Amino acid sequence: MGPKSTAPPGLTSFLNILNKNENKHDTNAYIELFISLLSRRQIRNSRSVAIATAELLLRVISVYKWQDLNQLIAHIKEVGNRLMAAQPREMAVGNIVRRVLGLIREEYEGDSKAGNISVYSDSGLDSITGRKRGESTSVLFSNLQPVLDGGEAGLLKPQVTRTTFAHQGGQFTSMFSLLSHPGSPEQNGTSTPPPTSHSSVPPTPTQSITTTATTITTEKSPPGPPGPTRDMKPGIIEGLQEILDELLTVDDQIASYSLDHIHSNEIILTHGSSLTVQKFLLKAASKRTFTVIVAEGFPNDHEATHARVMGFDPTNPIDDDDILDEVPQEQFQKTLAQAGISVILIPDAAVYAIMSRVNKVILGTHAVLANGGLLAVAGARTIAKAARDHSTPVVVVSGVYKLSPMYPYDWEALVEIGDPGKVVSWEALGEIGEGVGEKVVSVLNPIFDYVPAELVDLYVTNLGGHAPSFLYRVVGDHYRHEDINLGV
Amino acid sequence: MSTPSTAAPAGPTQKPVTPKAPKPQKPKEDKPQKGKEDKPQKGKEEKVQRKDDAGPQAGALATGGEAKLTPKQLKELKKADKQARRAADKATAGVAPGGKPEVGAGGDKRGKPQQGPKGPSTEKKGGKADKAVKGSGATVAAHAGQAVTQRAPKKEIPLFRHLESPGQGVNLAGSHKDVHPAILALGLQMASYDICGSSARCVATLLAFKRVIEDYTTPAHTTLTRNLSSHHLSPQIEHLRSARPMSVSMRNAIRWLKLEISTINIDIPEHTAKKLLLDKIDSYIREKITIADHAIVATAVEKIVDGDVIVTFAKSNIVQMVLAEAHRKKIKFRVVVVDSRPLMEGAQLCQALSEFGIDCTYTLIHALSYAIRDATKVYLGAHAMLSNGRLYSRVGTAAVAMYAKEFEVPVIVCCESIKFTDRVGLDSIVTNELALPDDLTNLSITRYHPIVGKLSKWRDIPNLNILNIMYDVTPAENITLVITEYGSLPPSSVPVVHRLSTNQ
Repeated sequence: MGPKSTAPPGLTSFLNILNKNENKHDTNAYIELFISLLSRRQIRNSRSVAIATAELLLRVISVYKWQDLNQLIAHIKEVGNRLMAAQPREMAVGNIVRRVLGLIREEYEGDSKAGNISVYSDSGLDSITGRKRGESTSVLFSNLQPVLDGGEAGLLKPQVTRTTFAHQGGQFTSMFSLLSHPGSPEQNGTSTPPPTSHSSVPPTPTQSITTTATTITTEKSPPGPPGPTRDMKPGIIEGLQEILDELLTVDDQIASYSLDHIHSNEIILTHGSSLTVQKFLLKAASKRTFTVIVAEGFPNDHEATHARVMGFDPTNPIDDDDILDEVPQEQFQKTLAQAGISVILIPDAAVYAIMSRVNKVILGTHAVLANGGLLAVAGARTIAKAARDHSTPVVVVSGVYKLSPMYPYDWEALVEIGDPGKVVSWEALGEIGEGVGEKVVSVLNPIFDYVPAELVDLYVTNLGGHAPSFLYRVVGDHYRHEDINLGV
Repeated sequence: MSTPSTAAPAGPTQKPVTPKAPKPQKPKEDKPQKGKEDKPQKGKEEKVQRKDDAGPQAGALATGGEAKLTPKQLKELKKADKQARRAADKATAGVAPGGKPEVGAGGDKRGKPQQGPKGPSTEKKGGKADKAVKGSGATVAAHAGQAVTQRAPKKEIPLFRHLESPGQGVNLAGSHKDVHPAILALGLQMASYDICGSSARCVATLLAFKRVIEDYTTPAHTTLTRNLSSHHLSPQIEHLRSARPMSVSMRNAIRWLKLEISTINIDIPEHTAKKLLLDKIDSYIREKITIADHAIVATAVEKIVDGDVIVTFAKSNIVQMVLAEAHRKKIKFRVVVVDSRPLMEGAQLCQALSEFGIDCTYTLIHALSYAIRDATKVYLGAHAMLSNGRLYSRVGTAAVAMYAKEFEVPVIVCCESIKFTDRVGLDSIVTNELALPDDLTNLSITRYHPIVGKLSKWRDIPNLNILNIMYDVTPAENITLVITEYGSLPPSSVPVVHRLSTNQ
C-alpha cells in the first residue's frame, strides 16, 4: 500500500490519496495506509496526525452504513483503536477519535433533543455546539412530553429520527431508549435516574412515539436503517468539518491571545520548531518588539527548528520536503527575523546559562495531559525546570486538540525513544564497539520530555488561558466520559 | 550590575547592526566614508546613528528611544568595562600591551571600546586609529572581519556584546615576529579545541613555555629577569589569548611563572637561570596537576560504591581518571555520559570508558531528565571554581546539577586547586567565552565529517543570531561537594582553599 502520489510519504501524500478518492468505499485501505504511515513515523507531530485522523474519520463515516448508534460508535472505536495501537504515543489520534465519538453521541442526542426543545424555546440549533449531557436532555425530555404529543408539522422530522431509533429497540445508550423501554436496564450507568423520575409517565413517550410514528410511516420506513444514517450523517460530517476547521485555525486563535502575554522589550525563550509558538510570537511581533531565544532541540527537532528560524526558501535545495511536509499550509511562513524580531538560536545546553535574562518561556507541546502536565520535545523539561529555578514564568501554547484525557501514571512509558543514530554516528558506535568486544555502550535518545504540571504556569489554548490545575475541566468539556477509555 | 539591566532591554531593539560595531569592515572605503561621517557627527550624534543604521539594514532602525538616552552612557560603560578587563588582564598577565593585544579577536568589536581612551573622536576615527596602531596584525583581523561582513552585517548579540567576539581562527601571518613556533602550534591546537580542557591547556601552555624559555637568549644590555617576562613572554601570551581566551588555570600558571621569573637572582648566569625555570615548571606541573590529580582520584574513588549509577557531563579528564580508577578497583558501577553540541566531548569520554570496560550509556543533554532518573551520583569536572562557591564549567553543567538537586542526587565536583580563582560570578552572562557561532551550523555528531545544515546561510538573515557560549555558572547550592587535592569541601570553602594554595 505504497503511496501513489509523487509527494514523499507523509501528511500531504496521505491527504492527496484521500482526496483522489480512488477506492471510495474501501476505507480499510485508507486506514491501513494511515496505520503504516503512523507506525513508520512518516506522519508525526500532533497537528498532522490530528488532521489526518479527522480526514480519515470523515471518509470512514461518509461511507459507512450503520444500523444504529451503537454500531457506528463501535465501528469508530474499532478504527480508533487500530490507529492508536499503531502509534500509542501520538495522542492526537485518540483525542480526535474521542472528539468524533462525542460528536456522534451529541448529534444523536441533539437530534433527539432538537425536537423537544424547539417547541419550547426554539433553541434546537444547539445540537451542534451544545455540549449538554444526556441526563439533562432526558430530564427536559420527560417534562416536555405533553407538548410533544401535540407535535406540530415542522417538528416531525426530528421526531421521525427518534422514532426510528426507538423502533430499533433498546440497543443504544440513550435516555430515550430507556424511556421507551423502561424494562431494559442493560444500558450504561446512567440508567437509574430516568425511570424513577419517570415512574409516573412511563407510557407517555411510547405513546408519543407511536403516534408520531404512525403519522410519518409513509415517509420513512419503520425498519429504517437508512433513515437515521441519512439523517445523522450530514450532522456528523458537518461537525467533523468543524473539527477540521478548528485544526486549521487553532494556531491563529491561540495567536490572537499573544498580546495579552507578551510585552515590549521582553526576552522570550522558546524551544523547538512548534508552529503554534511561531504564530503566537509572530502575532505579537506585529505590535511589539522583543527578543526571542530559540533552543534548537537537538538532535530530534533541530532541523525543523533551523528551518523555522531561517524561513523556507523555495529556491534553496537544502530545504527539503520532509519539513515542508509537516505543515503543508504554511510552507513559506514568515520568519520571526523577518518580522523584525531579533532571534537568537542557542544550543540546548545553554538554556540554564541564558535563563537569568529570560522574561518568559513559551513552549509548544506534543500532547497535554489531563493533570496539567505535558509532553514536548525532549529538553523541554530542562527548560521548564531552569525557568522555575529562576522564577521565570512558563507559558504553554497548545491547541485543545492536543489535550488528552490520559493521566500520566507512568510518564516514562509516554516518552518515546528515538533513533540512537541521531545521538551517535554509527561509525562512532562501531569504533566504540571495536575497542572492547562485547562491551556495549547504550545510547539513549528520548524524543519527548514529560513536563510536570508544577513547572507550568499557564496554558494558552484556543479557548483562552488556563491554569494547569483547570485543564481537567477543559477535558471534561471536550470528551465524553464514556469515551475516555476507548478500549473494550 | 547595571550592565545587564540596561543591556537587556536594549537587546531587542538594537540588534546586530549597532552603529558602533561595524567599523573596520571595509578598510578600503574607510577614507571616503570617514569624511562623510565626520561632519554629521560633529553636528548631532544621534543623526549619525540613524544614518549608519539606514545603510546596513532596516532592522536596526528601532534603535530609537534607548539609543537616544544611552549611547553616551553605553560608551562610558563599555569603556569602563573594557578598561577594567584590561586592568585585570594586565594584573594577571603583566602584559604591556603595546599595540598588539587586540589583534586576533576580530577587529569589529574592538573598534568601539578603543575609541574611549582616545577621547571623543568619531567612531570611524576610532576604528581607523585602532587599525593604524595595530599594524599588520590588525589588517589581518580586519580582513577576517571583512570576510564575514561582506555577506551580511556584523552579527552581535546585545546581551553578550561585552564579551570578546570569538577569534576568526588564528592568523599565523598576523602574529608577532617573536612568537615561538611551539606557541603558534599550541595556538592552533587551542583554537581548534584539539587541546581542550582547563588542565590540559594549562599543562600544554607550560610545556610550550618551557620550549620558549629553552630557546630564549637574553638580548644585550638587559637581564633575563627584566626581559623574559615582559618582552619575550608577553607576545607569546598574547598570541595564545588571541587563539582562545585563556583559561583560569592558564592564567594562574602564567601568573605563577612570572612571579618565578621576577624572583630569579639577577646574578645567576643565563643558562642556570633557564635550567632553574625549566625545573620549576616541571615541578609545578607535577605538583599542581599530576599529584593533585592523584590525590583527587584517591578521594573521589572512595565515594563510588557498588551499584552506583554515575552521571557525568561532557568530558573531564579528572572524572575519567576517577572512573577508570574505580573500575580498576573492581567497583561495579554504571556511567551515564551526557553530552552536548557542538563540542561533543563526552563521546571521547564514553569511548575511553568503554575501552576500559565500563558499562556506559551515552546521551545528549536533551535527555537529561530521562538520564538522571536512576543516577546515584553526579561527577562533574570544572573549568574554574569561583570564589563565591559557584562552579564555572562547560555550558550545560548547570542544568545537570539542577536536575541532580531535584532528584536529590549528590553532585561532586572534581577540581584541582589550580582552577580556583578569586573571581566571583553570579550568572553565566557577565563572564563567559564566546565560541564561533558557525560551530553550531555544523550538524555533524562526529568531529570529522561536517554536515552542512540549514543554518549555513544564517549570516544573510538580519536579526538572526547564533549564540555559542562555552561555559555556565552552576549555583553553589546545587553542588554538594568539591574534591580537591586539599580534600573534600563544600563549595563555600573554595575561597579558603584558594588562599591556601596561592599563599604558600
